[in-house]
Amino acid sequence: MKPDGKVVLLGDMNVGKTSLLHRYMERRFQDTISTVGGAFYLKQWGPYNISLWDTAGREQFHGLGSMYCRGAAAVILTYDVNNLQSLIELEDRFLALTDTASADCIFAIVGNKVDLTNEYALLLETEEENRPEKPVTSCISTKVQKQVHLDDAVALYKKILKYKMLDEKDVPAAEKMCFETSAKTGYKVDYLFETIFDMVVPLILRQQAEGPLQTVDITNYKSAKRTKSGCCA
Amino acid sequence: MGRRVFLPHPPASRPALPLSITGLRAGASHVTGRTGGAAPGGGWEPGRAAGGDSPVAKLPRTGARGPGPDCPADHPEDTMSLKAFKLVPAVEREMLMGDKARINVECIECCGKNLYIGTNECFVYHFLLEEKISSAGKITFAATKQLHKYLGFKKAVSELKAASALNRLLVLCDNTITLVNMMNLEPIPTGARIKGAVTFTLNENPMSGDPFCVEVCIISVKRRTIQMFMVYEDRVQIVKEVSTPEQPCAVAVDGHYLCLALTTQYIILNYNTGISQDLFPYCSDEKRPIVKRIGRQEFLLAGPGGLGMFATVDGISQRAPVHWSENVIGAALCFPYVVALDDEFITVHSMLDQQLKQTLPFKEGHILQDFEGKVIVATNKGVYILVPLPLERQIQDLLTSHRVEEALVLAKAARRNIPKEKFQVMYKRILQQAGFIHFAQLQFLEAKELFRSGQLDVRELISLYPFLLPTSSSFIRSHPPLHEYADLNQLTQGDQEKMTKCKRFLMSYLNEVRSTDVANGYKEDIDTALLKLYAEANHESLLDLLVSENFCLLTDSAAWLEKHTKYFALGLLYHYNGQDAAALQLWIKIVNGDVQDSTRSDLYEYIVDFLTFCSDQELVWKYAEWVLQKSEEVGVQIFTKRPLEDQVKNSFNPDNIMNCLNKYPKSLVKYLEYLVLDRKIEKEKYHTHLAVLYLEAVLQLKSVTTDNCAELTETQTKLRSLLQKSDFYRIHFILDKIKGTDLHMERAILYGKLEEHDKALHILVHELKDFSAAEDYCIWSSESKDLPYRQRLFHMLLSVYLNPGSSDCELVMAAVDLLNNHAAEFDAARVLQLVPDSWSVQLLSPFLTGAMRESIHTKRMAQITLGLAKAENLIYKHDKVKLKGSPIILSDKKLCQVCQSPFCEPAFVRYPNGGMVHTHCAAKRLVNPNMTHHSQT
Repeated sequence: MKPDGKVVLLGDMNVGKTSLLHRYMERRFQDTISTVGGAFYLKQWGPYNISLWDTAGREQFHGLGSMYCRGAAAVILTYDVNNLQSLIELEDRFLALTDTASADCIFAIVGNKVDLTNEYALLLETEEENRPEKPVTSCISTKVQKQVHLDDAVALYKKILKYKMLDEKDVPAAEKMCFETSAKTGYKVDYLFETIFDMVVPLILRQQAEGPLQTVDITNYKSAKRTKSGCCA
Repeated sequence: MGRRVFLPHPPASRPALPLSITGLRAGASHVTGRTGGAAPGGGWEPGRAAGGDSPVAKLPRTGARGPGPDCPADHPEDTMSLKAFKLVPAVEREMLMGDKARINVECIECCGKNLYIGTNECFVYHFLLEEKISSAGKITFAATKQLHKYLGFKKAVSELKAASALNRLLVLCDNTITLVNMMNLEPIPTGARIKGAVTFTLNENPMSGDPFCVEVCIISVKRRTIQMFMVYEDRVQIVKEVSTPEQPCAVAVDGHYLCLALTTQYIILNYNTGISQDLFPYCSDEKRPIVKRIGRQEFLLAGPGGLGMFATVDGISQRAPVHWSENVIGAALCFPYVVALDDEFITVHSMLDQQLKQTLPFKEGHILQDFEGKVIVATNKGVYILVPLPLERQIQDLLTSHRVEEALVLAKAARRNIPKEKFQVMYKRILQQAGFIHFAQLQFLEAKELFRSGQLDVRELISLYPFLLPTSSSFIRSHPPLHEYADLNQLTQGDQEKMTKCKRFLMSYLNEVRSTDVANGYKEDIDTALLKLYAEANHESLLDLLVSENFCLLTDSAAWLEKHTKYFALGLLYHYNGQDAAALQLWIKIVNGDVQDSTRSDLYEYIVDFLTFCSDQELVWKYAEWVLQKSEEVGVQIFTKRPLEDQVKNSFNPDNIMNCLNKYPKSLVKYLEYLVLDRKIEKEKYHTHLAVLYLEAVLQLKSVTTDNCAELTETQTKLRSLLQKSDFYRIHFILDKIKGTDLHMERAILYGKLEEHDKALHILVHELKDFSAAEDYCIWSSESKDLPYRQRLFHMLLSVYLNPGSSDCELVMAAVDLLNNHAAEFDAARVLQLVPDSWSVQLLSPFLTGAMRESIHTKRMAQITLGLAKAENLIYKHDKVKLKGSPIILSDKKLCQVCQSPFCEPAFVRYPNGGMVHTHCAAKRLVNPNMTHHSQT
């Protein structure tokens, strides 16, 4: 079965790409091992099949990134909110990999592991104000100060637009495309993927309307060649 | 991405490991390596155990996603039990080289039954390969050497490719590709050849339509050059030369696309358009690249970190990579598996889930290739074939080791290799087996889904539970069995909690399927099983099942319900099967306490209800006595609530019933009330009977109680009400009975009924001194009678009050009140004559006002009536005049009586005498007062 659209997760090792996918697809969090090479899932979204590619963050597999990104409808750039370097890496190492993505590719920037920050309890409160019973976060003392703020992600998003030479008016707003999630608790994970899928669908429609971009019509090809070879012979 | 686990076992414990069995045997008996060990091919050399880089046993784990519940960490051998391939020797060392130890296998080619081997000493060997299947299903190969040919160089034969359509073998030796006859290995007379080839490959998806031509792609000895040739039976022709950005090391072709391993990266190059696409970088210094076409427009490449990467001609990966090992020498494809060879092992990964499925120890291998689906692996000295085991067998193996997901993935993939009908049967069975595996692990949701999609015969599941299937069931478990369990006890190993869970699951499952197609053909088995489960679990749905449509088998279910003391339910079962007598007998036993069943606390009422609607007359009569004995009031409902048509038609007529009820006075009263009050049967007998019964009850109560107890009041009210409202009882008979008692009111009522109002009023006024009762009497006695009758009564009462014989002040007051309260009921003129002169106007002012009002009202009403009557009379007269008139015909011959000219318009005037004139003529004559206008058309 050929997927209709492709979504690729990129990001430094250990930021939680596999965990995010795992949380979304299998509804649970479990320790994962360092991804080797890459893995993928198929997600049914309405009438479309969207392939979700999990890439390996390790330097060793960096060379594979371009190939995974080729023709991607969306790229999710993932960092760890407690690790500034992981955000910097996105710009330094991973952005260039997306050159092979489809021209109207959607970019999302996701800060994972917010559950480890001391802001998390606050986030939950604002998020779930209406809930009668708030989850008690007892281990607040073990939380750490967040290293990367949403503003930094927004700034990166704008840099990406500049790099891609895109006009801010033509693409989704930065605030909409920067997410903070926790694969461990599931915080905003569904929201992230569902937002992106909803944006990918119009892209799929456009691609399908424009005709198959990446499919070679062999029958046509063959007949054209045949006349040519006949001429040579 | 399989993880490699380093086994802690010392090499001595090796025989216990299931890992190596297949590979070891193959290797041990046929590969005599240079190391000279006992089993050099097997890779089990104690001396190497300590070597850090070459572990004794690398036991790759399945489970690409890391440790999970599906691959228990303590049973690694379980995960390795899949045997996808079997290693079978094809050409043994002796056949190839005899005693010449220096001959090495350099390359192989296999085309149909023809196996070609090129050696380091420039020989090409031709064998015929016969596949043999023993009766036990074991596959062996027998190779028969046809001939061998020396090519005349001092170089090794580096590559062989057969072009069977041309009957040619392409031989690469000393950078030259020569064409030889496939059968006799003789060079072709024309000597056509391709020079300057480092390596070459055939295009398996050729773009020319010519079947007698093969497309050959070579990496040229010229730097950075690829050349395309057309090779015919006896000539070759160069068609294209392309240069590459770096020196190519390996090439594969599909259509116009070249997949190239360059020095630092893999690329896709369209040799027709020259457009190239980078795939990914790698380092050719560190490892041998692999470029393998695996199907239309798709290649398999050796990637960094021991990855087998998939890439299409568009430069896209459509499958996740497989994680084989760092030093892969060769790769082959045998759907759905990717087979890879490294220094020590042959690994088998599934393309479907990327997991490592099998590892075969294989030392010193240096060639692994697939030829038309046949995977051949070779060391320097011997050639072996990897025989794929039948997919069905592999799936069964997976199921045996409870690897359900993998089995299902493989089964789905097998669709393309197995005929449709056969596949569907097989796939269903696999789904069912998988369902039972989940079931045994108490994963009921998964199990249910698999049972459903596998269209499981539910009885397979039921039969796991002891005693649930009816003894009469013809069910026999499918063979071979779908699971390994004799019954639930074995499955749960006696764990009661698990047992309960399983039973709960079956309950919900059967309940779901019993009304679906799945149940067709064995509804009896399902419903009986469900009944048994409900009964055993004391489940409330038991009763629902029995009162709705069901197919529970009587004998089997009855025995079970009895065993679990579900007597009430048993009664329902009897009833459902038309055995009402048995049902009642059982229920009565429960009520009587002969057997214990607390299902219904209101079972007695239930029985009454049951009998009420029971159409079996005999049965009702049989238990009527019992029911009435239990409760006269409730029991009588079997007669009173019985549907009417039932009472008319058969033995439930009032006489029969009253005969029966004679012993039960309360029931009798209820029944008579029902007849008289509810059904309003106008029979003197019932009315009198009921009145007498009421009367007796009242008298009896009066004799035993002094105060007005509630029951007495109630009965007395009923009595009075009956006496007042009924017109059918025998008045004199009751009156006789009442005489001499203090039931004055009742007596008054009876006199009233006899129209002896004076007597009645006398009782009420003088004996009871109950004036309001007297007034009420006047009112109800005159109900439905005309006004004079009522007036007569009221006047009678007034007379009683004003009886000159008594000057009781009380009576006078009563008289005044009567007049004042009921002014309308009296003829004022007569009253004024009656009242004593001494009474003041003020005393009677309400009466007088009322009387006046009434009188005026009456007058006015009469006037209105008169007026209305006159008006009505006029209308009738008008109608009469209209009906008497006759039509007038106007024509141009008629002339106006005034001007004597004809009418030229439809409008005209007619006089009552019949004369017709023009309207304008009539207008002129308006002076005549008798004229009226009539217009007609």
